[in-house]
Amino acid sequence: MTADPYNIIITGVGGQGNVLAARVLGNMLLRRGYEVTIGETFGATQRGGSVMSHLRVAKYGVWSPQIPRGRAHMIVSLEPAEAVRVLKDYGNEDVKVLSNTRPVYPVSVIAGDVVYPPVEEIRDRVQALIPGARFIDATEEALKMGSPILSNIIMLGALSCILPISVGRSDFEAAISGFVPVDALDTNLRAFDRGTEMV
Amino acid sequence: MNQKKHSPRLLMMGNDAIARGALEAGIQIASGYPGTPSSEIIENLSRSAAERNIYVEWSTNEKVAAEVAAAASFAGLRSLCVMKQNGVNVASDFLLHLAHSGTRGGMVLVSCDDPGALSSVNEGDSRPFARLLEVPLLEPGDFQEAKDMTRWAFELSEEIRNFVFLRSVTRMSHASGCVTAGDLPEKARRPAFRHKGFLLDPDSGPVISLLPGVPELKHGPQQEKLRKAAKLFEKSSFNTYKGPEKPDLLIITSSACSLYSREAVHLLGLEDRVGILKMGTTWPLPPELMKRHLTAPDRILIVEEVLPFLEENVKILAAEAAAELGIKTFYGKKSGHIPSVGELNPDVVISALRKILGLPADDSTADFLKKAGAIAASAAPHRELTFCPGCPHRASYWSIHNAIELDGREGFVCGDIGCYTLGFLPCGFGTLKTIHSMGSGTGIASGFGQIRRFEMDQPILAVCGDSTFFHAAIPALINAVHHRSPVTIIVLDNRGTAMTGFQPHPGLDVSVMGEPAVDIDMAEICRSLGARVEIRDPFDLEETERTLKLMMEETDGARVLILRQACSLSPEKKGRKLFEVTVDESVCIGENCGCNRLCTRIFRCPGLLWDGQKKTARIDEVICTGCGVCAGICPSGAITKKEARV
Amino acid sequence: MRLFGPTELLSDVIEKDLCSGCGGCVEICPYFRSYRGKTAMLFPCNLEKGSCYACCPKAEVDLDALSMRFFGKPFDGSPLGHHLSVQVSRAGKKIGNRGFQAGGTVSALMAFALMEGIVEAAVLTDRDQLMPIPRLARDPSEVFQCASSKYAAAPTLSAFNRAVRDGAGRIGIVATPCQATSIALFRSNQLQKPDFRDPASMIIGLFCTWALDYRAFRNFLSGKINLSGIRKVDVPPPPAEVMEIFDDRGKWEIPLGEVRELVLPSCSFCPDMTAEFSDLSVGVLEGHPDLNTLVIRTERGMEIVSRARKEGFLFTEDIPEENLKHLTWAAANKKKRAIAKIKSEGLFNTDGERRSIFRFSEKTAGKILDGEEEK
Repeated sequence: MTADPYNIIITGVGGQGNVLAARVLGNMLLRRGYEVTIGETFGATQRGGSVMSHLRVAKYGVWSPQIPRGRAHMIVSLEPAEAVRVLKDYGNEDVKVLSNTRPVYPVSVIAGDVVYPPVEEIRDRVQALIPGARFIDATEEALKMGSPILSNIIMLGALSCILPISVGRSDFEAAISGFVPVDALDTNLRAFDRGTEMV
Repeated sequence: MNQKKHSPRLLMMGNDAIARGALEAGIQIASGYPGTPSSEIIENLSRSAAERNIYVEWSTNEKVAAEVAAAASFAGLRSLCVMKQNGVNVASDFLLHLAHSGTRGGMVLVSCDDPGALSSVNEGDSRPFARLLEVPLLEPGDFQEAKDMTRWAFELSEEIRNFVFLRSVTRMSHASGCVTAGDLPEKARRPAFRHKGFLLDPDSGPVISLLPGVPELKHGPQQEKLRKAAKLFEKSSFNTYKGPEKPDLLIITSSACSLYSREAVHLLGLEDRVGILKMGTTWPLPPELMKRHLTAPDRILIVEEVLPFLEENVKILAAEAAAELGIKTFYGKKSGHIPSVGELNPDVVISALRKILGLPADDSTADFLKKAGAIAASAAPHRELTFCPGCPHRASYWSIHNAIELDGREGFVCGDIGCYTLGFLPCGFGTLKTIHSMGSGTGIASGFGQIRRFEMDQPILAVCGDSTFFHAAIPALINAVHHRSPVTIIVLDNRGTAMTGFQPHPGLDVSVMGEPAVDIDMAEICRSLGARVEIRDPFDLEETERTLKLMMEETDGARVLILRQACSLSPEKKGRKLFEVTVDESVCIGENCGCNRLCTRIFRCPGLLWDGQKKTARIDEVICTGCGVCAGICPSGAITKKEARV
Repeated sequence: MRLFGPTELLSDVIEKDLCSGCGGCVEICPYFRSYRGKTAMLFPCNLEKGSCYACCPKAEVDLDALSMRFFGKPFDGSPLGHHLSVQVSRAGKKIGNRGFQAGGTVSALMAFALMEGIVEAAVLTDRDQLMPIPRLARDPSEVFQCASSKYAAAPTLSAFNRAVRDGAGRIGIVATPCQATSIALFRSNQLQKPDFRDPASMIIGLFCTWALDYRAFRNFLSGKINLSGIRKVDVPPPPAEVMEIFDDRGKWEIPLGEVRELVLPSCSFCPDMTAEFSDLSVGVLEGHPDLNTLVIRTERGMEIVSRARKEGFLFTEDIPEENLKHLTWAAANKKKRAIAKIKSEGLFNTDGERRSIFRFSEKTAGKILDGEEEK
């Protein structure tokens, strides 16, 4: 672990399984003996709004469920615009970024009022600011596996490889079984594995 | 969650921790009304209800919920009552009386506040109620404490024979942290309401709030209970101090703010200059403990959200002990160091500390954040709030808005609380013109209706949801009908309490525990009041608009229009499409005169996309729920719907 | 012509109470709709140029250009507008006596046009109790159902716009002067759409001095008369000064002075008494309640009249000098009053940012205002 507390933000749009991803990751880290605090924003914001989970990973102690400005160590985003949105408040020169490439258009974009730039442009601009920023097509892989909602699990798999905290498949398997029915375990494990192959 | 033995550490949401604490304390009744950020507590308990043999209920409103919990307490059982901050307002009349009468079995009132109004249309702070009602107030500062404090609160309640107020906030209730669960009790109590004893006997007499003319008989003992609580608080492990013996600056804080304060002190490296006194028992403040900590520091910063509750109480205490303590300098909301509005975060506390201690600003991330902000300006478009695809409210507001414009007399709609509150936004075509509290739409409309007699021609309407109807709108409706107020009350009946997570309410035939319940017929209630009642399907735009135009023209008395169509997130609808909806690109007029993107620009259902290349609308099959309403608004007939194969 | 969009239509016409409720902007798109005689804009539309504004008879109407388009000469301000002939007419033997309000000329001509296939559908105004309702007729019997004068403004052109959208090719319209102007604007393809086809095959204009606000009219009468029994509404010629309403119980007389208070404000801005942009214009012949005055304006109008007369559907004769003089005088006065008002409100030939109702040559405007008032 490169910092204590280590600050992870998982972000996306309401309905993408952001909250589930954060809780699963939290449980994975708990299993490894860390003290985890997760702050979430949901509720009215779920009606089409941005969702953010702040994870504080520490050796001991409870930390603020809101990460201080500019102090994220890792930003994981299920949606490219949300990665940018989080970066502008919580990013810094050393932050690591892992983002999905599939856009979820805000209603203002759908309505034609606002232009959503091409994802390639978003990726290029983010990578210019943060050279190591990774963009993976988690939704495309999830669709290949049969359901777009698996993209959050794929992202977790990818994250597990680049996080400077040791967490792995066995932690995921133990954690996810508390959240999904038994007959879905296999699909989720495959999604996790797919994610690990993508970084 | 229901393990009886000591379990390893779990990652638990604050609300789940509170629920666990209540179960460990052996509650047998839990009641509440849905309200973000509190709802998960009752939902959690309802899932354990069968196994733990407890009764859990979503009551009609918070006042009734408090009364239900009180009944259990009078019969010697432990009970939990749960609500958000507004719920305390609704329950307050009963709570005031309950505080006088006292309780028997432990009773804890949990209020989950929403500083920053993330999911509310008000920024109420429920803590002053504890002072007003003269009952003890506890505030957990982390997740383990949420559980432990809730559990202990029942002991405290039985010790002092009054209910205890436990206050949480969004960043505690909806945040998660590590919790070690305790044991669950083996035995349950057998209830009995003893009432034949002497009038003033707290265990066996009748339970009466206060005897008129002799307040000292009940109010006096009540205040004595509070003093007893204060004594117990002196030794409470929920009040902690971390920092130097003689701090340069003392932070006094509670709730989630204690975590922000800790974070701020840590980030600034001030652990040997600044001490943090985290109070878990915030009313009444234990005077000896406070004086001990106030003695050394000259400067005190109080960090709390919304009202300066803690700040004022500390200042009063300091004033009373001025002779001992000397002069202190206080920082907080009154001094402007802590904002008076909105929720806090570590950066707010950092900023306050820098200012007070004269520390230089830290611009290390400023440059990066500025560059990131430049990218965000074009790459992170704002996400406006909107109704879900297939939401009946979108269709209802379309018809209501159009009927009012066509009527042409500057009619308006008084709004209420629920998903449909969003009706004042573009997603609801700006239809709602007043918004306040539960049931107030109908009440305000009733008032507007009466002033029409002073030559005001504007038609008056109100909307309220099905859950809101039972919660608060009925008395206002009775008022409107009885006084013949010429108003149109529209009940948006989507068959559930949707905004807070689709909980059941008295209009449905099943309870939160899954037991059969009596479904109360809303239309029958309205009819029995003597109002004219019409029921329409909001997805039938033409018929809804036609009915509304006629209702707005009526001049005598209140009438009710029930727009009934299940929420698109309801169990009966989820995953099932009524129609396959498609856009014929060759017919679509698009942005040209004759349409100008009515469906995407104005109707704005998330299931409709504007294809900037083809210059036509398109259906997003993944998001579209197949309600088919957009087919009815398309001027060219390009959008068509076909019954989906089951 | 200067073209603007729905935002300007809302601010210039609807919000300034200049809307005559003609329906010219209704059913072109979903944004403008009419209910009980009042046109409302439901949602904002941000197009800079729209058919709605282009077809509005009270919005930047260049009468010179319009007149050039349909008559080959500029607007000359003459009392009756460009025309080929003025005659007296009534329904012919083939139509017979069907209890027409006056001579039955309008119904006769439109029924004939439908029968002969000159038009495939007719845009007319029907009535439900007191409320005028636009109607698309495809059969002569429907034409006769709509025969009677309606004194409240109706959004009749919404039926025209609807018929156009549904692909009708040859449409006949019975229009008030403002409606006829709107149709003329429509036919002149202001927005210059390359695939535009003119679907209006015959326009019969009605003489009109004012139209009532339907809602005000209804409110005014509803205390006094049982609206569901109304059979006929009539304004007999001066010196009567009353409006007559016939219901199942008899005849009610309302002082015309009280009725005039219900006239739409936009009517005082209208210079056109005889529907100058039609093929044929029809009114009551002064002093002869069973005959019509018929103004023939276009070649095709002339042809229809000839055919109808030949087939026995229409009867015509010369108009007495006295009647023509009186009609001319009345029309000239309305023109003068309206142009004076428009000028005084600064809505004529405006410069820069400000928009006009009408544009035509200053010289012609001078001629109208200087016109003699002799009877």
